[in-house]
This record gives sequence, structure tokens and C-alpha cells, in this order.
Amino acid sequence: MTDIPLASAQISQGLPAIPKEETPFTQFRKAFFDDKVAVAGLILFSIIVALALLAPFITPQNPYDLRSVDIMDSRLSPGSKAGDGFTTWLGTDGVGRDLYSGILYGLRISLMVGALSGIIAASIGMAVGLTAAYAGGRIETILMRIVDLQLSLPAVLIALILVAALGKGVDKIIFALVVVQWAYYARTVRGTALVERRKEYVEAAQSLGLSNARVVFRHIMPNCLAPVIVIITVQTAHAIALEATLSFLGVGLPQTEPSLGVLIANGFQYMLSGKYWISFFPGLALLLTIVSINLMGDRIRDVLNPRLEK
Amino acid sequence: MSMTMTVTKFVRLAAFSLSLAATPTMAQDLVVGLSAEPSSLDPHFHNLAPNNQLSAHIFGHLVMRAADQTLIPGLAESWRVVDPLTWEFKLRKGVTFHDGTPFTVDDVIATFERVPNVPRSPSNFSSYTRGRQITKIDDHTMRITTGVPSPLLPNDFTAVAIIPKGVKDATTEDFNARKTTNGTGPYRILDYVQGDRIVLERNDAWWGPKPHYKKVTLRVIRSEPSRVAALLAGDVDVIEAVPTTDVARLKADQRLSVFEATGSRLIYFKMEMHRSPAPFVTAKDGSRIDNPLLDRRVRLALSKAINREAIAARIMDGAARPAGQFVPDFIFGASPNLKAERFDLEGARRLLAEAGYPNGFKMTIFGPNGRYVNDTKVIEAIAQMYTRAGVDTSIETLPPANFFSRASQGADGWPEFGMYLTGWGSSTGEGSDPLRNIAASFDAANGFGQSNRSRYSNPKVDELLKKAIATMDDTERAKLLAETNDVAFADQAIIPIHYQVNIWAAKKGITVIPRVDEWTLLTGISKQ
Repeated sequence: MTDIPLASAQISQGLPAIPKEETPFTQFRKAFFDDKVAVAGLILFSIIVALALLAPFITPQNPYDLRSVDIMDSRLSPGSKAGDGFTTWLGTDGVGRDLYSGILYGLRISLMVGALSGIIAASIGMAVGLTAAYAGGRIETILMRIVDLQLSLPAVLIALILVAALGKGVDKIIFALVVVQWAYYARTVRGTALVERRKEYVEAAQSLGLSNARVVFRHIMPNCLAPVIVIITVQTAHAIALEATLSFLGVGLPQTEPSLGVLIANGFQYMLSGKYWISFFPGLALLLTIVSINLMGDRIRDVLNPRLEK
Repeated sequence: MSMTMTVTKFVRLAAFSLSLAATPTMAQDLVVGLSAEPSSLDPHFHNLAPNNQLSAHIFGHLVMRAADQTLIPGLAESWRVVDPLTWEFKLRKGVTFHDGTPFTVDDVIATFERVPNVPRSPSNFSSYTRGRQITKIDDHTMRITTGVPSPLLPNDFTAVAIIPKGVKDATTEDFNARKTTNGTGPYRILDYVQGDRIVLERNDAWWGPKPHYKKVTLRVIRSEPSRVAALLAGDVDVIEAVPTTDVARLKADQRLSVFEATGSRLIYFKMEMHRSPAPFVTAKDGSRIDNPLLDRRVRLALSKAINREAIAARIMDGAARPAGQFVPDFIFGASPNLKAERFDLEGARRLLAEAGYPNGFKMTIFGPNGRYVNDTKVIEAIAQMYTRAGVDTSIETLPPANFFSRASQGADGWPEFGMYLTGWGSSTGEGSDPLRNIAASFDAANGFGQSNRSRYSNPKVDELLKKAIATMDDTERAKLLAETNDVAFADQAIIPIHYQVNIWAAKKGITVIPRVDEWTLLTGISKQ
């Protein structure tokens, strides 16, 4: 009923007024760039990613090369000259690591861990969610109970146990983060897929005799992507924070290859003795990274949520 | 994250000042912030420093250790060697338990009967009483016969808390419920809230000089920054185990005093000296090599490559003394000949080349994170130094419980790590203890080399040590122990790094006698 006045309005405006057909992506991009805050988040995030990628070329020290780190440089305040002659703009930590270099290299690890674990968890979660929704019956029950079980346990706890059991290392922490994250994707994708499954286009595809895999992955899955994209942004920020938490607790990444969490943990004991910079700058970097991702994530959620249509 | 930390801290500080305002403390009251909590009130349940420290207040021992670890009379007034297999102890007369019953030899006998029979004890005290027969001469004289000459018997007695004969059959639960916590010590227990506080009251009938404080609350504050914050906020009067990073700041504070003593706890590296190849030691390209740590020159090179002065200054903030042997030189049995190895990078490189590793090799060194003062940072600094000397070193630090179980036994039943950082505090307060546990050849059945996970073995060390611990004459024994140290360190049996300095901080006006053994004793805390 409601589209009648709209249609007549279009007719009254004449043909040239009909806008060119927009792809969903163009619509999305336009809606996203409408929000100044989200754009700020995107710019900030792009700068952070660029700094992380360029780290080896724009830092005075390779913090992973123990030859270049000297304890005689430990705890220099921001702006001091290190033994090797460069100026440490953000100071050094308790073992003489330049914090500016440490933070940029740490960002590489944090971003990589967040992105990789997000992508892997999303893939696993989508596969499980789609299978559950499409297969139904006992398979669905079993898969969804596993998801329930997983979601009923606190993520930090599971990750802590896994990493403590597996040992330190980037691969292990990514594994632990995938284990604690996949269930969110599985649950969401199943919900969306259940709705999509009952739609006519799926019936049409099935009646054409397409294989189950083709129906699921070529027809249903693309229509479930919107919520997954939203969760990826939220969960990536979450994964970065979780990695920092684990490293802060001393079970995440090795001391000699510090992520932001390790850097913050290193400085924690100096907080009362006035050497604020050791924890503060890595903490700030972590904060900015997570905030920038969340600013984008909030907007993406608003744009992709059909219920929040303006 | 750092933001939330700061906020939490402010909230905590605010909470502390509020609680202080709410509970006005009495003039003679003292609140002490402890770094660790006893696991039980049963003095014979768990051989753990916080437990033993509390036992010393409530129960008392036959022999006590002064702040510098020399033996002083406790419940025993004097002791002497009758013959190599017999000791005679004279007990202090007129001593009573908290409930008024007099203390006699019968209580010592009852204690010795209970010690080996505490159910579910994680580490009991039977090694101090095993094979020792007590004969009562009169109420205050006893003779102890030993199967083998035991010159360290008085040292062992510093670890055995004396209970009254009436509670010989009491269970650990009875003690924890404070039904049987009846001792001869300078304090009696008033209240015990696990995980929070222990409240003690002075025993005015104690035989020793009257402690200054009548009522003392021991609060357990595990987190280092929180402990310091509690002192700064005035919530506690004294804290132990002051974090090294805060020492300078606390010293500068006009409202506080800081007390320090070099401890007997050695921080050192153990190296695989038995198997080849050694775990986590490879050529630079990752290929298999024979265990380089078997070569004395390599071990010496790894010792020379460590800049101990720099670690003490830059990582420990001065709260460490570079070490050259198992115990600091003021401890019984230390060798006068052994000094901390000087930092000599060129010398280290030369030795590595001589040993056939001109290009070095690659290894991972391990250690606990949070067991010893700044342990992770020390390991990281040494990894820097080794890498500079040509040995590419990466590090892995593990939560202490996990680390120690894997260090003694990995998946294949052998110690898992090729080289790792650990620590040793002499439990007898003299020098034979680390030699016996670390340097002696592994022979667990006879109580030798129990912590010798590197399987270092030199028959000369074993021979000298066995001779020393059977020598009743103190001067002669000290000489033999020193000689044993000389032999073990000529072999570079371990790589010593430093002795930790024990630090206390208190409000101005309160004095704390700093102790070598890390104990916080209320008898050593007073007010001017």
C-alpha cells in the first residue's frame, strides 16, 4: 500500500529523476561516509595500520633483535638519547626497549592476531552456523548445544587455560582466540540462515536441483554476510583486547616479541614509581586502535541493520 | 588498559584511606602488610616460608636464627656435642605455653612424634627429625642420638616448631580452627581470616625481651603495587618484600623508612650437563649440535658474558649483589676465594671460539615469571648479553607452578629445559644446603642432589661434601665446605647471577631489623 504514493511521485517526476541503480556496496559506502565520527575512526585506523605496516622502515630500533636492545638504556624518559644515538620520543621500558619502536612492532602483532583470528573464527563459525541451519534436526541440536556450552564459559577463562596449556607463541594465541570466538559467529549466522532458508529464492535454487553445498554457500551465505561483517569488527577489537589481557597476565606472547599487552604489563610495576610512560603509551596505542575499530563497527552496524533504517 | 589501572588504583587508595578513618588504631597496635599467606596454622603441615615465619611467633623453636643467620638459643638454652653421634640440649627453665602449662622435654618428644605423621602434608618436616632419638635425662635436659654424625642438628632444629604434648594427636584442621594453636612463642593468635588477615596478641609471659607491639594485624597483600599503596595510604605500618622499582621513591619519602639486608637467596642458571644434545640448544641454523654446555669453557663464557653490575643497577635498582658462589660470603661455608665473575665480552667470545663455537650457537633459556624479584627482566637482559656475545638467545618465561614442574620433569620424564634461571635460599642458613641439593651428584635415595636437575657430577665435590657434613668441628667443616665450593665453581657447576636484597619499608619512627632469611619477625619491629 505504502509504495503507491511513492510510485506515483516517481512517475510525476518523470524518468530522468530516477537515480542510477546503486549497488548495495555503493549504498553502504555512502551511508558509512555520512557519519563524520565513523570517518574519523576509519582515518585513525588507516593511520594505525600504515604505521604498523611501515614499522621496520620508520623505527630507530628493531625491538625483536636483542643485539639492538641494551639494558643500559632502560627506563629512559621520553625524549632522552639512547646509547645508540637515537632519541627515544616515547621513552624506553624496563629492559631498554625503545617504546616507539616497540609499540609499532607490537601493533603489527596485535592487528595480525586480531584480524587472523577474526577471519578464521568467522569462517568456522559461518560453516557451523550454516550447516546447523540448513541441516536442522539432530545435527543442528548438537552443534547449537556446543555453541551454547562455549558461550556459557567466560572467554578470558577459556583462552587463559588454552594458552597456559599450549605455551606461548603467536600461532597458539590465534588458536585460542579462534576457539573463544567462533561460537558468536555460528550463533548469529544460524539465526540469519534460518530466516533465509525459508525464502523463495532458496526454494527456487533447490527445485533447480542444485547441490546442497551450492545452495548453502552460493545462495544462503551471501545473504548472511551483513551480520557477520558487523561481528567481525566488534570481535576483532575484542580479540585485540583479549590478546593484550592474556599477554598482560603473562601467558600470551613471549617477552622478546612484545605485543601491546606485554608492553603494558612490563610497565605496570613502574606505575607507582612515576615512570608512567612505560605502560601509558602502549596503553594509549591499544586504546586508539580499539576505539577506531569500534567507531567504524558502530557505523557499519547501523548501516547494515535493516531495523535501523532511517 | 593503563587508564583503567590508574582508576582502579585511585579507587583503591580512596578505599584504603576510608577504612583507615573508620578504624582508629590503638597506640600500641601495628598493621603489617605481608606478601604471602601461610597455607595452614599447623606448624608441621607445610614447609613453606610464610608458615614457618608465623610458627616462629606462635610456637617457638629450640634453636633460633639471628637476623644474620647465626644460631642463637631459643627454647634450648645451650647445646653441646657429647660424642660424634650424641648431642645434649639443655632446655630453658620456667617457660610456659600460652595456656600456662610448663614446657619440658616431653613436649619436644611429642613434637618429634607428630612431625612425620601429619596426613596429606605437601612437604613435611620429617627430614629434620628422621633418625634422631631423644632420651630424656630430666625435665630440662635431653640427649639426642643420631645414626650418622650430624653437625647440622642445631640448624635443623631451627625448623621444628614445638607443640605441647597434649596436642600430639591433633589434626591440621584442629590447628586451622585455632583449637590447638597453643605454643610458647612471643605472640598468640586472636583471629585468622584466610586470604585476609591474621591477628596476633603479645604473650606477656614470653621468656625473651618483650616485643614492642601488643596487638598486631598481619594483612596479606600479594600484589606489589597494592602493598606499596597500602603503606603510602597509611593503611599498614610496615610492608615486606618491597618491589625494587619503588625503593628509590620510598626512600625519598620523609614519612617512611626503608630497611635492607642482603639475602641468602641466590639467583642462578642451571645448565644441562648430562644429555647431548641439550634441549633447546641448536646450531645457529637450527640444526642439531652436540651439547655445548658440557664444555667448561662454554659455561665460563656464558658466565663472563653476563654484566652482573648492570643487572644489579638497571634492573634490580641496586637491590641485588653480584654473586660468585652459592651463598654470600658472610654465610657459614662460603669460600673466600670466589668472587662474582667480571663482565668480559671479549673473553667470552674468545672462550666460545676456543671451545669450537667461533660463531656461537642458538638457544632458548627459560625461567619463571613472578617467582623471583624481576625474574623475567633479568632473563631478558641476559638474553641480550648472550646474543651480543654471539649466542643467539631467545627466552620463554612461564607461570611458576607450570615452570617448576616442567623444569624437573618434562613429557619424556627428563628435565625439560637445557638452561634455565632459578633460585635457591639456604633453608639451614649455612652453606652445605645448596651444595648438597644442587652440586652433589644426583642420588635422591640418599638425599643428595635432589635439585640437581642439570645432573652435574664431580666425585671430588661429593667426597668433600660428605666429609664436611660428617665433621662435627665447626671451623674444620667451614673449611671443607669452602673447598667444596671452590671445586664446584672451578667446574662452573652453575652460573651464579646475584643474591637478592630483602627490603622492608615502614612508617617513620618504626624500625625493622632486616633479615637475611626474608622473614618478617615482630620481635624485630619496634618504635623509637
